[in-house]
Parts: sequence; structure tokens; C-alpha cells
Amino acid sequence: VDATRFEAIIVDSSGWSVAAAGLEEALRARCDDLRAAGMVVHDVDSGDAAAIAEIAASLAARGITGRLIAVVGDKLAGHGDVPELRRAVHTPTPDDDAGFDSLIRLLDHQLSLRADRRVPAIDDDPSWVVPLPTDPVMDRVSEALGTLANGWVGVRGRREDRQPATVSPMLVSGVYTDADGQPRLLAAPDWTTLTVDVSTDGSQLLDLRSGLLLRRGRVLRTLRLVSAARLDAMGLRAEGRASTLGHPAALAPGDSSTPIEVCTAPKIQAARARSSDGGGITVAVQDHENIVGKLRVIERLATVAADQRSVPDWDRVTNQLDDLVATGFDRLLADHREAWAQRWANARVDIEGSPGDELAARFAVFHLLGSTPGEGEAAVGARGLSGPAYGGHVFWDADVFVLPALAAIHPAAARAMLEYRIGRLPAARRAAQAVGLAGARFPWESAATGRDVTPRRVMGTGGEVIPIHTGEWEEHIVADVAWAASEYVSWTGQPEFLHGPGADLVLDTARYWASRVTTEGDGRGHIRGVIGPDEYHEDVDDNAFTNVMARWNLRRGADLADDKGLASEAAGWRQIAASLFDGWDAERQLYEQFAGYWSLEPLLIDQVAVPPVAADVLLGDARVRGSQLIKQADVLMVHHLVPEEVEPGSLRPNLSFYEARTAHGSSLSPAIHAALLARCGEPDRALVPFRMAARLDLDDLTGTTSGGLHLATMGGLWQALAYGFCGLRPGRDLLNIDPQLPSEWSALALHLLFHDAPVRIRAEHDRVVIDCTCPLTVRIGAGRPQSCRPPGHTFATGDGHRHPQRTTP
Amino acid sequence: MTTLLAALDTSPSAAVVLSTALQLGELTGATIEAVHVREGPTDSPEWLAAQAGVHLRVLDGPVRECLLAAVGGVGVVAAVLGARATASGRRRAIGGTALHVLELTDKPVAVVPPDMTQATEPFRRLLVPLEGGEQSSAPIIDTLCPLVVADVELVVLHVFTAATIPPVMDRPNRDLAMWGSEFLARNCPNASRIELRTGSIASRVNDVCLEERADLIVLSWSQHSSPGRATVVRDVLTHATVPVVLIPAR
Repeated sequence: VDATRFEAIIVDSSGWSVAAAGLEEALRARCDDLRAAGMVVHDVDSGDAAAIAEIAASLAARGITGRLIAVVGDKLAGHGDVPELRRAVHTPTPDDDAGFDSLIRLLDHQLSLRADRRVPAIDDDPSWVVPLPTDPVMDRVSEALGTLANGWVGVRGRREDRQPATVSPMLVSGVYTDADGQPRLLAAPDWTTLTVDVSTDGSQLLDLRSGLLLRRGRVLRTLRLVSAARLDAMGLRAEGRASTLGHPAALAPGDSSTPIEVCTAPKIQAARARSSDGGGITVAVQDHENIVGKLRVIERLATVAADQRSVPDWDRVTNQLDDLVATGFDRLLADHREAWAQRWANARVDIEGSPGDELAARFAVFHLLGSTPGEGEAAVGARGLSGPAYGGHVFWDADVFVLPALAAIHPAAARAMLEYRIGRLPAARRAAQAVGLAGARFPWESAATGRDVTPRRVMGTGGEVIPIHTGEWEEHIVADVAWAASEYVSWTGQPEFLHGPGADLVLDTARYWASRVTTEGDGRGHIRGVIGPDEYHEDVDDNAFTNVMARWNLRRGADLADDKGLASEAAGWRQIAASLFDGWDAERQLYEQFAGYWSLEPLLIDQVAVPPVAADVLLGDARVRGSQLIKQADVLMVHHLVPEEVEPGSLRPNLSFYEARTAHGSSLSPAIHAALLARCGEPDRALVPFRMAARLDLDDLTGTTSGGLHLATMGGLWQALAYGFCGLRPGRDLLNIDPQLPSEWSALALHLLFHDAPVRIRAEHDRVVIDCTCPLTVRIGAGRPQSCRPPGHTFATGDGHRHPQRTTP
Repeated sequence: MTTLLAALDTSPSAAVVLSTALQLGELTGATIEAVHVREGPTDSPEWLAAQAGVHLRVLDGPVRECLLAAVGGVGVVAAVLGARATASGRRRAIGGTALHVLELTDKPVAVVPPDMTQATEPFRRLLVPLEGGEQSSAPIIDTLCPLVVADVELVVLHVFTAATIPPVMDRPNRDLAMWGSEFLARNCPNASRIELRTGSIASRVNDVCLEERADLIVLSWSQHSSPGRATVVRDVLTHATVPVVLIPAR
């Protein structure tokens, strides 16, 4: 108990003996001192259960839970049924002088921990804390897994004594620099290094609930945060034997190819890195150091300023730092905990019956929440802010995999992603015009400017030149952007977005497709020469995914055009949409993935390897290209994204056919299969691909997690939970819910926002419990729409309510 | 002072063994000592050693035991042996004497293929096939890297098989470089670069050796050559055209 710094103390003083009145006064004085030092102190009557529950809830809303709470009083120990107090640290009611002395010592110790700026604790609740790999060979994976990010700044979980950094330790959203003609996220100056004399050990614990990274070892103990409450602020506390832990290290370059300029003033260090475009990132730190017994205790407060177009000057960061120092570490930490508690309030995932699945799901949501700022615009790269892979380029991963999750759990972040696309419409229009087409053509890979930054070639590991055609041919991104805008509106219930700032995301993309589709002699519209999501097959004609998404885009655009008085254009788009060939083979009851796919070698994945497997690496490009093996969900992706655009009843046969041919060589694939298997009424089978996705980074299945986390997989994982197992589908006026739970899980609960109102959905095997704060219309399974009034309602989900395939809203 | 032993017999390949030892001496900074186990006249090894200016120690006794004892001598850091396995015109992986030493020594041994020509150029490019994992990489990091003092290019080769292929690879044309970089960071940080291939390991080792014009192949091995074991080592030795350094995996 003595070693732990508590953030709150709940005392039941009603039972304190009169004999101890003198000591009671001393105790109350200590409590006042602790309050002044930032600790939350409550004196409560143990008989008032409602008050205790309210206190516990208010603490949880500030991110103070479990082991961060000390509860003093025998009778308070009986309130173990209050979830937030279940793991609190209980101490008995003092009933003699010794007891009071002991309690006073405890409070004095708490005061000294704060006064000495010792490293705070985390609530090491195993359902919220991820232990990072400790094997040194896994260091870079561990760094990525332990990334702390607030949507704007991401700081990898690099151990403070590992130097120099081999992977950029800090990135800032949207700040790119050019390297060999390719933009990449600029490596920020590193502020996290400490001078440690010996190689140190110790475990690293990532606290998902509060966004903290704790390191605890025999030699060194640290706690780090990237403030969720104040985007420019970061902090680190460290303590270790003074003979081992030296003075804080100087700011260092984030990587070997990014020099920094350093400015040192009394008490302050600052450094900046410049981008090739005249922008840059400036970091300033102030250290506080003291010796406590044999310990050296270091507190480092850091602030960052960044801009894509200009380098933030020294004065700006110095002023920021002054303000941060005035705030202080403890206040920063308290605000940060509270901000994360607020984030989780509408994003929490509970999976009862499988702690491993639950922790992996929370890990994914944690990083999704950290990937995107809740204001301005957000360029969400394939690896978020957790690593430099792909230079931080923005792919369809952001629009189709990440955005739907954020639209439901952090709508402001989803909006920021759409603002990023809106800001790059001019570039997309120029790109369409450059190839003689109308509307807007969004690039396969995008960075700061919105021009296509897909590399045209790369050097292979053997020095050979490998051409890359995705920038040229993977055009479905155009419809994906429009779909993301529409899905955002479905979740948030803000149609005005599509009639206002987001309109052109749908209209200009529809215009693109209208000019891209060619009507041929058969009277049908065709789209030739593309790459679908299955990148094993390049330069194909009439890819079902591309065509169906284009058709959806044209129809959605036509609806919007009608509303805007563009009736003639709308009519034309509907006509093109109606003529567009989609690969539906009525005889087989299957969609042909692209023209000519049926005639390819009918190879099944089981004949090659157990999926997931990078089949193209194993068999070579030519063999895979000539076969029906596919990299990832392609036709099936249509069933996932736009089920209203496919033939009724076509999910099951297509899932059966394409699942047997899918290598899951893409990290995007397994979660989508999990969602669709669940929709097909096979939730137990769905668990297999679900767990592939859930463990992808935690087990480094790709061998590339060191370069950053697979954010789209995390978005897909949330979609598997929401769209798949929970059977959610946001509609214009109602929320469809059709749970399909694996037998291993007893319940799945999701917290989210639907039409701007918090909703908690708890799915069990035979019922759905919905908590809401506003009236809500829901449809359970294939049933009729029903109203659900606050505080909520329980709906039975027996066989009569089930439907073999998800209904479309 | 460290010593590198060159085991000379009276076969034509003894000259190649000695020239290989001389180049390895440049690579490691070790002094070359030639040894010969007397089975008859010693004129040939004596002449070879004299020509190269290398001290020759002639040993008496059973060949295998004498050689093994010499390799185990104090200060000896490595040895060079001829494969001596072309009896009856059919090429085999390795002869019995060399195999005996390889299985029992705890030091790196370079095996010189029977039809190799004399090594006249300095060894500058080493091909290191690695499976990954501590057992395969530790001998390279702990034994090979400290031995090499010359400026050489250490090219790691990793061959994917059906059993080891990465399960997920979003964009192989870019991810393989990332994967390779991480593989090196974990398994051989001293390497200059990595080559990645798919297929039969032994075939790819020899293919890449030719493509890269590697001067040496360096393999760690379990020192078990019973049937079904060390098949890669056996296959590489059978087809190698450059010396193969085998480092025991302890």
C-alpha cells in the first residue's frame, strides 16, 4: 500500500472512536493538505450506498479507478459490488492510536510522493492493461504497440535508455517532408531519452484506460503521457538510483536523416526539425530534478508546435512551455486521465467470456481513438501515428476501415478525416482533368497536398526495380471516399453535412464515374483497366467491387443532385448506374470478381497453405495472377459496405465461394470475413478471422508492426464487432441491431454515439439491452421498428427475431 | 594472438585449402598455421606451406583424432578443411574426416569444396543464410562477427518456405523491405543488407551465392548429421562453389 500513489481516498470517518479525537483532527488536516495537492478526498458515511456509488462513478469519469483509490473503513469494504471500487485498496477503520498513526503515516507518505514528484501509479487492471514484449529483439514492435497518441502527436513507446532511436520516436499528424521525391511524415526531435548507466530491464505496461505508459523495473521506473486534454503537451516522470539514472538527456534527432537545430536557454531546451516544404516541428522541454534518498527523480514537461507550411519559432514553444509548467505535471495527468475517461464513455467495448478478445478489442479502439484529432483535418496514414511505414500516406484504409468506427465512437475525429478529403478536392479535380475525365479522382495514396504520392516503382530487396500500378489503376478509392462521407452521415444523423461541406465528396466522385464508365456495344456500362481490393490481379476489367461501388456512388450522387436541383445530371447518373455491368452470374448465384475470373486456374487456398498466407510471396506473382486465389475480400467487400447494392441472398454463396479462395494476405481481410461470417449466422467460425485481426499487431503476424500499427485492421476489428457480431447498421431514422454472438462469449457490449446521442448496446445470446439517453428507434433482427425510450429497454432476440442475412435499412 | 588452422593433405585440393586459409587470415587477422597428419611422404604439404610462408606442423596418429585435437588447440579460432568427398567421381557433401571434425568441434570450420579453384582475391562478401531466431543468429552474432576484422559486406539471406512465409503482407513490393529490415534488426544487426527468396533453402543459397558473387557462405548448424538432420547444410555443401563456414550452434 505504501508504495502506491493513490489519486483518490474515500474515508468513512463515522466509525472513528471518540477516544481518538485528537488524532482525528490531525487526520482531517492531512486530508486538506492532500486535497490541496490534487488528490481527491471524500468523507462518506458507509451506510449511504447511493453516495458511495455516485462517488465511485464520478471518480471513474475522471479516470480514477481500482488501485488508484484507497478506501479507509471496514464497512466500505462491503461495497465491493460497485464495479469501480472492486479493485480499490482497502484499509481498516482505525480503532486505536496505532491504527490512527498508521493512517497518518499513509497520508503523509501520499503527501511526500506528490511533493517529491515521484512516478505516479496506474490502475493495473488486467482487462485494461497490455504488457508489452520484454525481449530486446522485439524492442521496435514494443515501441509501436506502446505508442501514446492524442490524434495530433504520436510518441512511440521506446524505452528511455535505448539510443539512438532506430525508428522515429515521434510523429505529428499531417506534417510531411519529401525524401527522394516521396513525402513521408517528418521525424520530430526526440524528447524521451534518459541517461541511464546500465542496461535496464523492467516491464512496460500500456494502460489503455488512461493512455499512460508505465515502466517498472529494478533500476528504473517511468511514466509517460501524451496529453489527450491538451494536444501540445507531453510529460515524463522517471525515478531510479542516482548512481544509475543520470541527468536528463539532450533533445536528439528523431532519425538519422533529419537534422535538428537546438536552442538552449536557462532551464529550457528546444529543438526543431525542418521539412522540405518549409514547415517543421519544434519541441521544447523543461526538466525538474531532485534527489530523494538514493533516488534521482526527474520530471520532464514537453511541448510541441508544428506546421506543414512554416517552422514554429522558439517564442511560440517557449510560451507554450511556460504555460505547461504553470499547469504542472499532476494537473496535466489528472486532466489527461479525465479526457481519456470521456473518450471511453462513448467507445468502450466489453466482451464477457473472453478476456483475451476483450483486451485485444480495447487495444484496437485505444489506438483508433489516438490516431485522429477531433478538430481541423486529419490525414490518417495506414499506420496512424505509431510508425513511419508507408511514409504516413493516406489510403482507403482511412475511409473504409477507420472512419466508420470513428463515426460511431468519436464523430468529431471522423469529421476531421472528411475535412482532410474536402481540403484535397481541388487536387482530386485536377487529377481527373489530367486524364481527361470529369469530377474528382482521389489518389490511391495521399499526403499533404492531395496529389497522388503512390510510388511508381520501388527497389526490391535485391536491388531490382519493381513497378507499382496501384496509383494508376486502383480507382475504387474514389467511391470509397464518397461512401465514407455517407456512412458518417448514417452514424451521426447529420444530412446537412452532405448538403453542405461534404456535398462535393459525393457529387464530384459521381461525376468522375459518369465520365469513367464506357457504354459499349452490349449496351452495358463497363470500367476497364483497374485493380480491385484483391491486388493479386492487376489491370482487370469490370472488377465487381469497383463497379458496384461506382454504381452506388452514382445513385447516391443522383439522390443528392436531385436535392440540389441538378435533375438532368441526376437522371444521367441513374441511367449509367443502371447499365453498369456488375459481374452478377445468375446461374452460379455468384459475382464474378472481374471479367475472365471464372477461367483462371481454380486453385483453392487449402491446396496451397493454411491462411493467412502471403500467397504471392509463396507462389510468385505470375502463378497467383493466373489463379483464382485472392488476397482479400473483394466481392465480399461489397456485401460488407453496400449490402443494398447486391442481389438478395447472395452473401452466403459468395462467402462460401470466395472464402475458399482467400489467402488473407492483406491485413484488411480477416476482420471483414469475421463480420460477414457473423452476419451469415456463423459467429463461432467468425471468431477465427476475428482473432487473426485481433492478434495481428499484438503477435506481429506481419513482421512489420515495428513500422507502425495496422490501423485499418483495428478499424476492421471494431466493424466486425459492431456490424458483424452485434449486427448494427445505422439507418436514416433507426438503428438496426441483429446480434450473432459466438458461443464462447456470454455478452458483447458496445458504447457508441448514434445520431449524436450516447447509446450502450449489450448483446447477449437471447436478448439485447439498450441504454440510451434520448429516444431511439431500433429494429431488432428482421422485426418491426420499435421505440426505445431513456433510460433504455431490453429486447428478446429469440429465433423469431433472427434473420439469416442482415437486412438492409 | 589467434591462429587459424589449415588442414593440408596430399590431395590436389590442399593448395586450395591453404589459399582459402590465407584469405580467411586476412579476414580475421589470425595467423595461419598449416597442419598435416602423416600418412606417407610429407613433401607435398611441406612444399605448399613453404611456398606460402606458413609454418607447418606435422602430426602423427589417427587422422581424425589428430585433426580434431589440433582444431581444439589453445589460440585456434577456426580451421579450414577440404571436403574431400569426390571418391569414385561422384560428388558427395563431405568426407568422413571433415564430418568427424565438424560434428565434434566447438569452433567454426571452413569446408573447401573439392572442385574449387585457388582463392586469390580477398574475401569481401560473406553470404549468411539465416532462418531467424536466436538459435540460428546467435552463432553469427557471437562467433562470426567478433572474428571478422576486415571491412566486408555481410549479406544475409532469408529463404521463405511454405512453413515460414509471412502470413500477412499487405504490399509485398514495399513490405518485404520493411520485413527484411526488421529481420536484420532482430537477427543480425551487423549485416550490410538482406536478400529474400522463396523456395528450397539450399538451392536458393547456392543461387544467391552465384548472383551475389559471394566469397564465402556462413551457416550455423546443429552438428547432427544423422539422416533427416542438417539437410540444408548437406545440400549446400554438395553444390557450393565457394568455401562454406560452419559454425556450431551451441
